[in-house]
Amino acid sequence: MTDNLQTDKLLLDADRWFPIGRADDAPFRHVLQTKLLGRELAVWRADDGFVNVWDNRCLHRGVRLTVGMNEGVELRCLYHGWRYASRDGGCTYIPAHPADAPAQTIRNRTFPAVERHGLIWTTLGDAAPAEPLPELALDDPFALRSLPFSASPALVNRHLDNADPTALFFVQPVDAHECVVHSVLAATPPAHEQISVWRHHADELTRVRDAVEAIAAGLPAPEPLVVALERIEPQEQGVPMPRARSDAELRVRVARKWSTATGVVALELDSIGDPLPAPQPGSHIDVHLPNGLVRQYSLTNRSGDAASYVIGVKLEPNSRGGSSCIHDVLREGDVVAISAPRNNFTLRRDAADTILIAGGIGLTPLLAMAETLQAGGLSYSLHAFAQSSEHLAFADRIENLGEAATTHLGRSPAETGEALDSILATPDDDAHIYICGPGPMLDAARSRAEGHGWPDSSVHFEYFRNDTEVDNSSAFTLNLARSGLTLSVGPGETILEVLRSAGVAMPSSCEQGACGTCVVGVVSGVPVHQDVYLNPTERAAGDRIATCVSRSADDNLVLDL
Amino acid sequence: MIQLYNYDLSVNCYKQRLMMSILDVEYESIPVDFFPGWEHKSPEFKKINPLGHIPVIVDDDYTLRDAHAILIYLAAKYDPTGQWYPTGDPALIGEVAQWMLFAEGTTNTASAARLHDNLGYAFDIDEVRAGAHRLFRVLDEHLWFREREGQDWICAADHPTIADLAIFPDVMLSEEGGISRRPYPALRRWTDRVRRLDGFTPMPGIAPASPLAASPDPRTTR
Amino acid sequence: MSDATRVCTDPAILDLWHPVAAVPELTAAGDTSMLLGSQIAYGTDETDGPWVHRLDADAPVAVRIDFGFLWTCFGEPPDALFDIPEAAEPDRRILNAGSIKVATSAPRAVENFLDMGHFPYVHTGILGAEPRTEVVEYRAALENNEVWAHDCQFYQPLASASAASGQMTDYTYRVPHPYCVLLYKSVPTDPSRRDVIGLFVQAMTEETIRAHNFLCMVDETTSDTGLRRFQQMIFSQDKPILENQHPKRLPLDPRIETPIRADQSAIVYRRWLTDMGVTYAVIPAA
Repeated sequence: MTDNLQTDKLLLDADRWFPIGRADDAPFRHVLQTKLLGRELAVWRADDGFVNVWDNRCLHRGVRLTVGMNEGVELRCLYHGWRYASRDGGCTYIPAHPADAPAQTIRNRTFPAVERHGLIWTTLGDAAPAEPLPELALDDPFALRSLPFSASPALVNRHLDNADPTALFFVQPVDAHECVVHSVLAATPPAHEQISVWRHHADELTRVRDAVEAIAAGLPAPEPLVVALERIEPQEQGVPMPRARSDAELRVRVARKWSTATGVVALELDSIGDPLPAPQPGSHIDVHLPNGLVRQYSLTNRSGDAASYVIGVKLEPNSRGGSSCIHDVLREGDVVAISAPRNNFTLRRDAADTILIAGGIGLTPLLAMAETLQAGGLSYSLHAFAQSSEHLAFADRIENLGEAATTHLGRSPAETGEALDSILATPDDDAHIYICGPGPMLDAARSRAEGHGWPDSSVHFEYFRNDTEVDNSSAFTLNLARSGLTLSVGPGETILEVLRSAGVAMPSSCEQGACGTCVVGVVSGVPVHQDVYLNPTERAAGDRIATCVSRSADDNLVLDL
Repeated sequence: MIQLYNYDLSVNCYKQRLMMSILDVEYESIPVDFFPGWEHKSPEFKKINPLGHIPVIVDDDYTLRDAHAILIYLAAKYDPTGQWYPTGDPALIGEVAQWMLFAEGTTNTASAARLHDNLGYAFDIDEVRAGAHRLFRVLDEHLWFREREGQDWICAADHPTIADLAIFPDVMLSEEGGISRRPYPALRRWTDRVRRLDGFTPMPGIAPASPLAASPDPRTTR
Repeated sequence: MSDATRVCTDPAILDLWHPVAAVPELTAAGDTSMLLGSQIAYGTDETDGPWVHRLDADAPVAVRIDFGFLWTCFGEPPDALFDIPEAAEPDRRILNAGSIKVATSAPRAVENFLDMGHFPYVHTGILGAEPRTEVVEYRAALENNEVWAHDCQFYQPLASASAASGQMTDYTYRVPHPYCVLLYKSVPTDPSRRDVIGLFVQAMTEETIRAHNFLCMVDETTSDTGLRRFQQMIFSQDKPILENQHPKRLPLDPRIETPIRADQSAIVYRRWLTDMGVTYAVIPAA
């Protein structure tokens, strides 16, 4: 019995589910190339089984992602090595700028994937399709060989009515003159018969194909379907939009809570709605606690691993309700609001060697870094200092790092100093050091690094108690001429961030001063240009400014917003 | 040491470079100015190969032309396992020969299209492209059924043979001749496997594949 | 999509010299090709010298020989082609390293030539290698209506045919013509001088080109074959990347793609094309 659920018109309707391959067309570490309604797609299965369906275009310069590499949790573009995370599609690393965190806006267009009847299905529509996936009551479906047809989907569909009555056919409209016919049997034959069953059906479908293609060859060739070129950041300036991603409160559920060390609780946070933004090693999230407090915690996730966020929370002896709330009040199943990750502690992946020094709970961002470096086959060492083995958080993950990880347990301050001396004894121009831990230990490590002759630019640190690094840049006042708002831009804050926090809609793309998306007009004041987009004439005129990187020379800057 | 008359962008020369890299055989590359010098058509070169083609190898006193013949020689002489050219197994060696001849077909279609599109060679481009698609359809279906049997390679053995190496480069560079591999998922998966072989060596347009994970699901415990 | 075969009407492009063939390639019998969407025939005559005919307009067009290539102009030819003073130096080796067809637009080929970030990925082990992937800040600007990028640096394992080991290499890039690009790099044996490597792109149609590779080197040791081999290897590694870029025509709207700071020279180049009013082989900004 055929059960073609598709009429001609429906075959070209983007708001429907279509099959785009067999489930085993997307094996691990492979990128499947396919096309639907004229749009090329890159389909890849992450190591955790999640199937990604993306536009087949790198956001940088449009190179096909299907010539890139599926590295398990990230897809790497072959042109400049940009890494994109599974699930979220966000860019997690740009090798040309190893010290910069890629902007959150650099995110592939993703489409949903559902595996059913042995096939992978997707839909290109913006909203959920009106019709659900074909819900055939098949307990035991057996996917047959899919065949490409050089003929219009409508023509093929009509001929399938006369084809094998025992198979269910699903047509994937590739383009105006091309489709793929997927087919499924209602029941799986016994193992020893499967090959011959596949062969029989493939031969039958080939006969249909020969007939259809002969007819199609005699018809005028239709125009290929055209997919419009979309802007990456379509948002226009000034038009109200939901609050910018970096401030958005994501809702997550506490999927798991467990004790990972004495006084340290680990939380695994799952997304409730959209995929979680791709984590970068060193990044942290704001956690909005039920008692109203907000605390920042580093993600332990290695680059791109966004199935759920894992954080480690140490119970502070004088907790004002932050860590104590997490330890005592929060339970599995609870829903909390968090911010999207921000990264002020980026990991370079271009060093010949990386030294990671963790004091106590300062381990959390460095664990993310260690696992990222390990996955990338890069040389590194992790030194985890803790009071005792019971106090060592995530001990199982540290063990998985093998020889690269060394634990230093129960060291006195003097012994810690000696250990640091030994670790930092030989400065290396091609190495970088990342340190995170309590204040005194950080100071000790930094002074020893300096004492041994390590250049400042090679030593990176983050205080684990939410102290942000002091930026030497100036503070100034920002006036918005049209809306009348007065805002202040503090040291270390960008104009773009401040505008967004104040609810002003601002589009952006690279957030590095290269693309010009965030440029606005200057009414008065003197911009300090730190971008590479404006040309010398524009800079001299002083009437435009790239809000993501540039600042003000004076106390006050007035923008045309 | 073996001498290989070589042009870096030649698909047929690459087949030898790939085989020798896999077999870990040392060789000296003698560059031939194929383009724009047309050195392979010069009277001097025609003393080495009167047909004016590359590759040619010289192994001590022994000279041999023709990419697919050279593959046979290299495998027969330098492969201690006897797997790449399995003369001990009549059924298998018959298959290898069958697919080597198929490789002549891919050379005359897919690689011809590439020469037309890159260097302006005079071929009926529509015909060679259509020919390549016909062959790719056959190979894609063949490889799909091999996968169903738990096999990774063209011939019925659990290891690759020179048939895989003879066909692979023509397939892998097909897009340079305007022949997309998008309709052939099994073919694309097979090219990943060839690119993961120990001793694989790249050429422009043929890069290594992403390595397989150590274990099927390496998402370790949190 | 059918626009890909349209004939160029931009005065900014028509009133320029465009490359057609390397001089050694010219024959008496002639060859055919395409330029700016029009079919052309070209060759060389014993007495009258090289010639180019536009087959759609059935008329001869202006020709000149420069840097070992035949150039033609469909519009009002400028008095001179851009100058490369190094080419006049007596000990220079001036070679064409091959003219290769690529299914992409001329501006995409120019931009790829300007780019350093791809060295470790596309020219692995030759012009760059992981983990040294950083593109340090450089200076790009318009100078005398040409795009220039100064103080470019990249770590290279094997920077030229005669190099023996890795080094930080200094580059300068120059775009003297919308479809032509030059790079200058220090001569390994004499750092006071610079080798010049160029890509002169013949825009056959909006989405197909013939890329003419030009070398102007100070090198006493490497053979012609050796120099060509190196350059062809580099270019052939770029070709599959160029052919896998979409859209083929260069989008001038900065919000279609995501440039980063390393793309500064490309940003200046795209803005230059916009300011010149170029519509051929690009997708103009909205």
